[in-house]
Amino acid sequence: MPLSFLPTLPLPASPLVLFGVLLIAGHIGGELVYRITSLPRITGYVLVGMLLGASGLKLLTPELMGIANVFVDIALGLVLFELGRRLDFKWLRHDPWLLVTGLVESALSFGFVFFALAYFGVDPVYAAAAAAIGVATSPAIVLLVARELGAEGQITERTLALTAINSVISFVMVTMMLSWIHSQYRANWYTVFLHPVYLLLGSAALGFVANHIAKVLARWLRKHERHHFMLLLGLIIITVGCATVFKLSVVLALLAFGVMVRNLDERHDLMAVDMSQVEEMFFVVLFVVGGANLHISDLLAGSVLAAAFIIARFIGKSLGVLTLTWFSGVRRRHAALLCMGLVPMSGFAVTMMQSAMAEHPEFGSKLGSIVLAAVVVLELIGPLMIQFALRRAGESGVELPDGR
Amino acid sequence: MADEMEFGSSAGNTMGVELELQILNTRDFNLARDADDLLDLVEKTEHVGAVKPEITESMIEVNSSIHERHDTLLAELRGIRDAVSGAAQRLNLRVTGGGSHPFHKWTERRIYPTDRFKHLLDLYGYLAKQFTIFGQHIHLGCPSGDDALYLLHMLSRYVPHFIALSASSPFQQGEDTAYQSSRLNTVSAFPLSGQAPFVHAWGDFAAYFHKMRDLQIVESMKDFYWDIRPKPEYGTVEIRVLDTPLTVERAALLAAYAQALAHYFLSTRPREPLRDVYLFYSYNRFQACRYGLSGIIADAYTQQRVELKQDIVTMLSQLAPHAQELGSTAALEELTDLVRAQRTDAGWLRTVFAAHGTMNDVARLQSDLWMGRDAGVLPVNGNGA
Repeated sequence: MPLSFLPTLPLPASPLVLFGVLLIAGHIGGELVYRITSLPRITGYVLVGMLLGASGLKLLTPELMGIANVFVDIALGLVLFELGRRLDFKWLRHDPWLLVTGLVESALSFGFVFFALAYFGVDPVYAAAAAAIGVATSPAIVLLVARELGAEGQITERTLALTAINSVISFVMVTMMLSWIHSQYRANWYTVFLHPVYLLLGSAALGFVANHIAKVLARWLRKHERHHFMLLLGLIIITVGCATVFKLSVVLALLAFGVMVRNLDERHDLMAVDMSQVEEMFFVVLFVVGGANLHISDLLAGSVLAAAFIIARFIGKSLGVLTLTWFSGVRRRHAALLCMGLVPMSGFAVTMMQSAMAEHPEFGSKLGSIVLAAVVVLELIGPLMIQFALRRAGESGVELPDGR
Repeated sequence: MADEMEFGSSAGNTMGVELELQILNTRDFNLARDADDLLDLVEKTEHVGAVKPEITESMIEVNSSIHERHDTLLAELRGIRDAVSGAAQRLNLRVTGGGSHPFHKWTERRIYPTDRFKHLLDLYGYLAKQFTIFGQHIHLGCPSGDDALYLLHMLSRYVPHFIALSASSPFQQGEDTAYQSSRLNTVSAFPLSGQAPFVHAWGDFAAYFHKMRDLQIVESMKDFYWDIRPKPEYGTVEIRVLDTPLTVERAALLAAYAQALAHYFLSTRPREPLRDVYLFYSYNRFQACRYGLSGIIADAYTQQRVELKQDIVTMLSQLAPHAQELGSTAALEELTDLVRAQRTDAGWLRTVFAAHGTMNDVARLQSDLWMGRDAGVLPVNGNGA
């Protein structure tokens, strides 16, 4: 073959080309949406994803989406690490009502969603799994919108703290639910018991080790923004990789890492370095892929259940927040904004649950038919809600004409 | 509108303190923007005198009531500190003293949304945001307007003392400024900063004020950013050159020193105001800002150069009988010891920076110190530079 140095057709899919294209397409979409409508850029990323994905031009095939998984994992790792870094246990000690609020709003949103779905005839196993997923607010959406606005203040911080709390709770519930579902499929009793234990303890241990290495190396490197940036970024990516290799949870391991960096650093060895530039890059890809996973057809198929899910979830969360934040000294008007801040939800929990149940595909597709319609709606209106809440609370860093 | 310039007389040995405080986040210890929520919570939970907003959303101002004794003032300031710290912790915030934040960027500041502050931003532009600096004001009661002007001109000679004793703004925007108090350089940029006119009768002063107001140079006394300014509605003279110290203890000591000085001048009238004081004023002020206790000032009364440290120790010992009368002997002795040992807040901050290497650690440890926690590195007012 004299021309063997030439590429052969069909051309192989290149992860690098894919990453770059997702990045640029997402960014342009975000910028367009922002310039035309002044909506959050995230909405643009999601719309671009929908355009390129299953609901649109179908350019992002399942094969390409599989390749993109590694970027999604890194992005999720960065989000969860950042969220963990925002969860300050000292705050929970000084304001125990914040923790109580988080626990109660999680419990109430679970209960309301479960009963609402059950009322519409959803099988309890699926209703419980869907409700557990619905407990979590999307950390990525909250974080990204807050950052885009340069928001700072009580509503921003409390939304992030509650998001961290309800994400942990949701994850633990989903993990427990998985084992329960396994038992429905008559798995061995030790799988039922050991799998969630392995996921929880293993992920926490991974986070702990990462934090320990971070502290030791930071001490040696000395305090310099550049050193700590490289160190943390490297460790985040390694932790994401290890979580995958050990079949642990990326979400939980990185959340644990972040929480420990903030709370198990008695000697203040680690600087609170700003990693937003790198994070933003992955977040764009994350939301484009998220958008590509959304199916408009789901929305049409499950509109009643979606409405029930969204309304029940909002009522549950709001009830918890409105009744309990008063004890934290949050003003009533601001409490209402906090409720709106907790609305965003994204589809990754569903994707994760589906992949965890890969050996029972019929479970995944049935669960999807119940919650994905709601996800489409919440992934699109969530960013608007949190943006409105933070602006209205006067916490946006951009000074509006009236001075707020 | 003659009323506003009517001098409300007050007892000659009274004092009150205002402190501008920094609000920090607990993540990287940069300035936060939560003044509004903090004020709201403090008002809701405890009654601790007046707590007010200041020009940017990262500042609050706390006020003591009127005191005749150092010990009651200190007790009240500690109470206010604890109440504000407690509220701050519930909001995951920190509060700290110090004349400047070590590394905040002024471009990131936002003006507190009241009409007056918005007007100041409109008028002064970027200077308004750079005005995110934190001072201690000491009010001294005066029986009459003439007394107030006399005291003001007497205290002008001692402005460098208060600068050197309170200096706690060595860092600005992430850099060591080489000054002990860099805060006053920011104040000097304002067109109406400086000193009161050299007049001695209250009537003349009121005439000066009305002339300025008729020409629309000022609207009220508040528009003068002088180092020392009479406050007719309180019946006080207000010293405004001090950085907010790193502890309420030092704030109270400085108030006791000012009170003893006022008592000395108003009860004995030892000398007459001298125009030469203002001839050397800017030079002396600069020496105190730049070098703190090691600064050399020119004394208008003796026409001699003298080191500030020595000048302060001499004055403190001269005030001993007045301190005894006011019940502040122990306080002035404590202050004397601090001066002799060259223990200053600016020195403490530089030592912390040298030991930890980042400005974030400086901000964290200075707030530990203010909030009354064990800062864990150095004794309070630790030695340094």
